[in-house]
Amino acid sequence: MAGRLFVRRRDGRIEVRLNDAGREIAREAFGHVLAAETDPTHEWHASLNGPIDPSHDVDDPLATFNRQHEMTSNVELAVATLGEEFLNDAEAWAWLCTLQIALRATITAKGILTSDRLEETDDTTRDYIQTLQAFLFSLADAM
Amino acid sequence: MPSLKPLRVSDQTQTESSVATLTERPWNVVVWDDPVTPMSVVVVIFRKIFGYPNNKATQLMLTVHHEGRAIVWSGPLERAQGYCVKLQVAGLLCTIEQDS
Repeated sequence: MAGRLFVRRRDGRIEVRLNDAGREIAREAFGHVLAAETDPTHEWHASLNGPIDPSHDVDDPLATFNRQHEMTSNVELAVATLGEEFLNDAEAWAWLCTLQIALRATITAKGILTSDRLEETDDTTRDYIQTLQAFLFSLADAM
Repeated sequence: MPSLKPLRVSDQTQTESSVATLTERPWNVVVWDDPVTPMSVVVVIFRKIFGYPNNKATQLMLTVHHEGRAIVWSGPLERAQGYCVKLQVAGLLCTIEQDS
């Protein structure tokens, strides 16, 4: 995918220049995050529920609730705006957060915790990671 | 069972002082490195969540990248938890720890 995928316009909105294939990848990523939030058997679930204070067995329930609430709000907004040509700042932030969660959940689930391990991973996984990175790089640049 | 004796004034002062020291130790928000998150994404997240200027956000991102972790904020427990939650919601590896 050449060129910028997200572009900031003069009116402040961010134009989404993903083609159908690109939007399908985003749809799939958002769908996985949405499913992983509620399904404890989903391979991304553990990644979405990491410890806040690792020195304690259980985190503060209010903080855990806030995390789930904010994550749900972001992914629902991202899913709702999947077909949009332009995003406002809140929508772009929701896309960035959800894409970044999908990227980190992918490496956590596959045990890719070092650069060496990333080099050794299979082509399909590496392509997927690089695609999400390209989305994120362009979106961050536009924000 | 040992008998309970009332605390002397000096003991009370010492105890209060120790408690105050414990409660005043700040909590650190720690962001950890990972091999895939684009650097520019980390900078955008620090700017958005903490309101840091671009140079400070970039400096912290580079510390995470080179040292494996960085303390990005320190302060009271509740606010540290709040920031940690926001960073995790934004997809970064983040924890809190009390300052030693």
